[in-house]
Amino acid sequence: MPDFTDKLRPSQPDGPTTLARERAQSSISIDELGNHLLSSDGFLQRQARILSILQREPLLSKDKQQNLSRPERFKLGLARAKLLRRLVDRYQWSYDDYKMAEYLVSDVSPYFLHLEMFITTVREQASEAQRAHWMPLIESWRIIGAYAQTELGHGSNVRGLELEARWDPQTQEFILHSPTLTASKWWNGSLGRIANHAIVVAQLLLPKPGSSDQYVSHGPHPFIVQVRDMKTHQPLEGVVVGDIGPKYGYITMDNAYMLFNKFRIPHSAMLSRYSNVDPETGIYTKPAQPAVVYGSLTYVRAQIVHHARLVLARAVTVAVRYTAVRRQFKDRDSDGSGPEMSVLDYPTVQIRILPLLATTFALHYTGLAMRTVYENARQDVERGEFHSLAHMHSMSSGLKSLCTMLAADGIETCRRALGGHGFGGGSGLIELNNDYLSKPTVEGDNWMITQQVASYLIKKMTTAVQAPHTAGSDELDSRFKEFIRNGVSNSRTAYRVLEKDEDIAKGFELRATALAYDAYQQRVLKKRSWNSLLIQLHKLSKAQSKSILVREFFTALSTDNTLSSSIKTIMWHIYRLFALHTMENEGYEFFRCGAVSQSDIDILPGRIQDLMAKIRPHAVKLVDSWMIPDYLLDSALGRYDGRVYEDLYNRAHRLNPLNEITFNPNYWEHEIVKGSGDDGSGILSKL
Amino acid sequence: MPSPPPDWVKALKPAGPQGSELLAQERAQSNVNVEKLSEYLHTKAALERQDKLVALLQPEKVFDKSQNHSLGRVERLQRSLAKAKRLQQIAEQQKWNMEELHTANELIGEPTPYGLHASMFLVTLREQGTPEQHKLFLERAQKYQIIGCYAQTELGHGSNVRGLETTATWNSDDKTFTINSPTLTASKWWIGSLGRTANHAVVMAQLFIDGKSFGPHPFVVQVRDLETHQPLENVYVGDIGPKFGYNTMDNGFLLFNKVKIPHVNMLARFSRIDKDTNKYLRPALPTLVYGTLTWVRSNIVLQAGGVLARGVTIATRYAAVRRQFQDRDAEPHAGENQVLNYKMVQVRLLPLLASMYALHFTGRGMMALYEQNQSRMKAASSPGQDSRGAGPEELRAGADLLADLHATSCGLKALASTTAGEGLEVCRRACGGHGYSSYSGIGPYYSDYLPTLTWEGDNYMLTQQVARYLLKSARAVLSGKSADNDTSRILRNYLNRRDKGASFDVLEEDADIVAAFAWRTAHLTFEALKHRDAEKRSWNSLLVDFWRLSTAHSQYLVVKNFYEAVSSPQLASALDQETKSLMHSLFRLYALHTLEREAAEFFSSGAVTVRQITLTRTTAVMKLLDEIRPHAVRLVDAWAIPDWQLDSSLGRSDGQVYEDLFRRASQENPVNDLVFDPYPWNKALLKNEPAKSKL
Repeated sequence: MPDFTDKLRPSQPDGPTTLARERAQSSISIDELGNHLLSSDGFLQRQARILSILQREPLLSKDKQQNLSRPERFKLGLARAKLLRRLVDRYQWSYDDYKMAEYLVSDVSPYFLHLEMFITTVREQASEAQRAHWMPLIESWRIIGAYAQTELGHGSNVRGLELEARWDPQTQEFILHSPTLTASKWWNGSLGRIANHAIVVAQLLLPKPGSSDQYVSHGPHPFIVQVRDMKTHQPLEGVVVGDIGPKYGYITMDNAYMLFNKFRIPHSAMLSRYSNVDPETGIYTKPAQPAVVYGSLTYVRAQIVHHARLVLARAVTVAVRYTAVRRQFKDRDSDGSGPEMSVLDYPTVQIRILPLLATTFALHYTGLAMRTVYENARQDVERGEFHSLAHMHSMSSGLKSLCTMLAADGIETCRRALGGHGFGGGSGLIELNNDYLSKPTVEGDNWMITQQVASYLIKKMTTAVQAPHTAGSDELDSRFKEFIRNGVSNSRTAYRVLEKDEDIAKGFELRATALAYDAYQQRVLKKRSWNSLLIQLHKLSKAQSKSILVREFFTALSTDNTLSSSIKTIMWHIYRLFALHTMENEGYEFFRCGAVSQSDIDILPGRIQDLMAKIRPHAVKLVDSWMIPDYLLDSALGRYDGRVYEDLYNRAHRLNPLNEITFNPNYWEHEIVKGSGDDGSGILSKL
Repeated sequence: MPSPPPDWVKALKPAGPQGSELLAQERAQSNVNVEKLSEYLHTKAALERQDKLVALLQPEKVFDKSQNHSLGRVERLQRSLAKAKRLQQIAEQQKWNMEELHTANELIGEPTPYGLHASMFLVTLREQGTPEQHKLFLERAQKYQIIGCYAQTELGHGSNVRGLETTATWNSDDKTFTINSPTLTASKWWIGSLGRTANHAVVMAQLFIDGKSFGPHPFVVQVRDLETHQPLENVYVGDIGPKFGYNTMDNGFLLFNKVKIPHVNMLARFSRIDKDTNKYLRPALPTLVYGTLTWVRSNIVLQAGGVLARGVTIATRYAAVRRQFQDRDAEPHAGENQVLNYKMVQVRLLPLLASMYALHFTGRGMMALYEQNQSRMKAASSPGQDSRGAGPEELRAGADLLADLHATSCGLKALASTTAGEGLEVCRRACGGHGYSSYSGIGPYYSDYLPTLTWEGDNYMLTQQVARYLLKSARAVLSGKSADNDTSRILRNYLNRRDKGASFDVLEEDADIVAAFAWRTAHLTFEALKHRDAEKRSWNSLLVDFWRLSTAHSQYLVVKNFYEAVSSPQLASALDQETKSLMHSLFRLYALHTLEREAAEFFSSGAVTVRQITLTRTTAVMKLLDEIRPHAVRLVDAWAIPDWQLDSSLGRSDGQVYEDLFRRASQENPVNDLVFDPYPWNKALLKNEPAKSKL
């Protein structure tokens, strides 16, 4: 309906004018930098191709989704997931094409677990015969599966799971049984309403030899189990399964609870590539190489690390574009004429956003490096060599913890830097924030898994201390031995971090090494309890992972010979900003181990501000280079064209279902919707 | 709702030890007298009021909370209006006072569409209206015959009130004002209760007389018809759409197309237009407006303690019930360890436990200061202060007392709301996977609290006002003309001792901890002054320094207030010796944990040595965690937050965490009413509903 507001325009200078000016003041070639970042595996080309298909589908419009109730939003999510799967057939999409579509639609798919953990587990842990039976059913989607490991009372500690799989030698079946309420499976994605099959992880209980009523636990094992009827989709007798309810995010995922009551499954249900129960004798055969199991977890963590850059880039894109467009107050040192200042010109805004912009690039190069390490380790394993697994496991744990924290906190920092509108649905950061905040907890809680890193580093340090004068077996070992040879005190000559770029990376490594040595002293020499050291160990893991981020960034820039010099210069500034800003926040640790002098630490704040001033003119083009489409951003504030206020108004005015309802505001009248004549019982009856 | 589970499920219990047993054990190992401490924190009257209202409200079906997180936006708002109406009906029947109404609103746990009517609309009419306007607007508003809101911020303008674009032009011919929105960015935006509920608004608009601008002023404007509730002609008003939180509030937009209002609709207690001469009469007491804002900010500080307490209560109780892994150094078969025993969990939760006490006592201290200054301020303020930007550090004479309190309230508002907001998220993450469930009670509450970090002054913008005040005080100290107040005292003290150095014994002497925080603030103040006055650096280039300075100053104020509270005779007489010494431990934990986090500033200012920081980190904080750990559950119990208000499976006072999570998932979750068809090539989504769909 037309009204007088149709003719109103934002005050000048408006968003498009401002962003055009921003883009004109930087010489960066977006295509060059964008291709450098995202073209090596065809990412950008794929993004463009898939995007054009998705935008033709009305079901994939994101306009009103934030208003829906949980049941309605879930239905929408399922409808979209079905559509995407049908598009695979229609356009003959590859797996990467499909993943791209999922990324752009940005719903967590209720089929996610079917496509990931369910299929992967069967592929990796099923015997040949089991694979021959199940894989065709799974790949043709005739059955839909999930992965049920965590329980109501048990998360990270897999050994503590309570669900039992008890072997019955008479019938040669396993009996799945939940002895307590805390044994209920919980949080298992795709299982609440969608899957009809699941990998169920349960404690394997076998009769004690020579006893008829005593059992021995052999630890958690995976079983493949049908849980719903293939026709009615209702749970089978003896199974209780459902969705666990509303969450902070992941609204389109049916995370599940599931309980079993003496539910019988055949012998063939136990996935038996690595371990087996002989159906005749009931004798258990042990896993051949348990390390392989954590190979797939490492893969998931490596993926998370690699993806973090795009998540953060999305938030930073919105923040940079909107703070460039948004104006507030005049510069108090100016003559008072001219418009209000662009918010991005305030150092208090820059200090929140520009280091995060720098972080996107740091995450990028480390993500690439993590992939390479993973590929190499995988090849080693295939050759039967397992020595690189521990290193990769430690690296992926530490980086998963650090990178997801940087991205999750970064999204929220960006959102708050947007001022009031950051709280609105038009910011585009709310669903992103809600969904991504699961990442610090899933696939290993960020606080828990840092112990694995620390434990690995302490072990390495213990080895290094024993023979500091021998040649190092790997990069870490050499670094540790050099540290010991140089004497462990902090009276070394500080690195010149303000002058030499490599010294920055060395400074980060020295800090991590010194903390590793501290931890070794406390734990191995002074025998301090593990628990009393946890905080220190967490800091150690973070320091180690940050040294990787800085070193990989440095290596990428110093070995690159493709970037033009104008971009290269800016990338070096970005490297320095990322590293020095991190260093300033943790200045005490760098100073304490002698990596940096106090006078340099005192200069850091000024240096950081100088770097921000150098990067500031390029900020809009730097985020443009991440090439995040408006469809994915779904943000009035972060639009490429800068039409921020028009879009916010359009969303409020035209896309908001609440404005179709007229309320009765008088408290003495029960009626809620004007003219409905409802005496209030309508609302009550739904409670 | 879903059908009840089969008997075999009903019979299941959580694996032992039960949550109730673990919490009982926790409570048995501490002698903190919860009742006494509660009364000291909240007063007996407040606790009784809370009990009475829970008993009254909880049984009413309309206040049921079980579906809150599953509903769509439209339905949530409808229900919230139903709650607001019911509350107002009870308030009338029972003749509630303001405190009762406030407590009732806190207990039902969500902002309602009457929120801004009951607060800002009534307050503004009362404070800025003349007696004639009180009769015309306030009396009807108090009876809810007209329902209003406060429309200040615009689509393109937040903190900078001077930049507002809505205009109010005086028409001398017919003695009216024309309210107009010249651009799209002039649209009022974020205005609570306006979107679908209010029929009136106090509109802040730029006053123009004869083409000359007189800055923003408040006007009462009717926006909807009292009968049909439809917008009046040439008024365009609606709700701004879904948000991160606060979805039970109809934040609105509002545009005017040359709407005329009578002369009497300009709120005229402080400034007005003479009808006969068409002359503008200047504000009599503009600083009183300042005063209201200061009061609002002091309240935010006090509330921040309570907000954080909700998160800490939930996370602490759940960490006592939740067990994970065996202690690496424990005997085999010891059973899994309570998560609260992990140092890594303690170091996240216990400093927040200390913070909630710190903020509470600081808020109390500020409210007292506000009351004290209220009368003196009225006498001391003087006219002629009509220009105000975010930056200028020159203060006008005559407003020193106000400036002191104002600067204090700005900085503390920023620190307190940031601490509480971020603290809630730390608590949520400390709950592990279950913290992500809405039934944890933290996530939704965090989302509703977050706007506090932005409204009543964005936390980053506010820090400029603190810096401006500190610089001014430092100049006064240097010129020997300083006022007799605490800020001047710490600056003078620093100047006197600067050559000798500090040598504070922060590890042994509590008073020295306060002194070290003061030292750091003073040091940063004079550093900033050097940059600004000697090196002539631009205001803009110093904003980051100012932000650090403001944070440092506010942390000093919290440490000082906390110290004074735990050393006060009132506390000594109200609490037993053991609880009292525990309060001191909480003080030390808050202060030393902060000191350790901001270590670089403390050692580069010379307040402490690197050795002291190392000892703080490795020894002192660890020891404090050990001291406080056994009392953690009782210390949160003392905050006396009713289970109904917490609305959390994880934080239940009886520890029945798992039973409650399961009950809600299986019995209160509408998604489980739906049976889906899971196959991609079947377009039908549901098995138990015809194929038609709303999508």
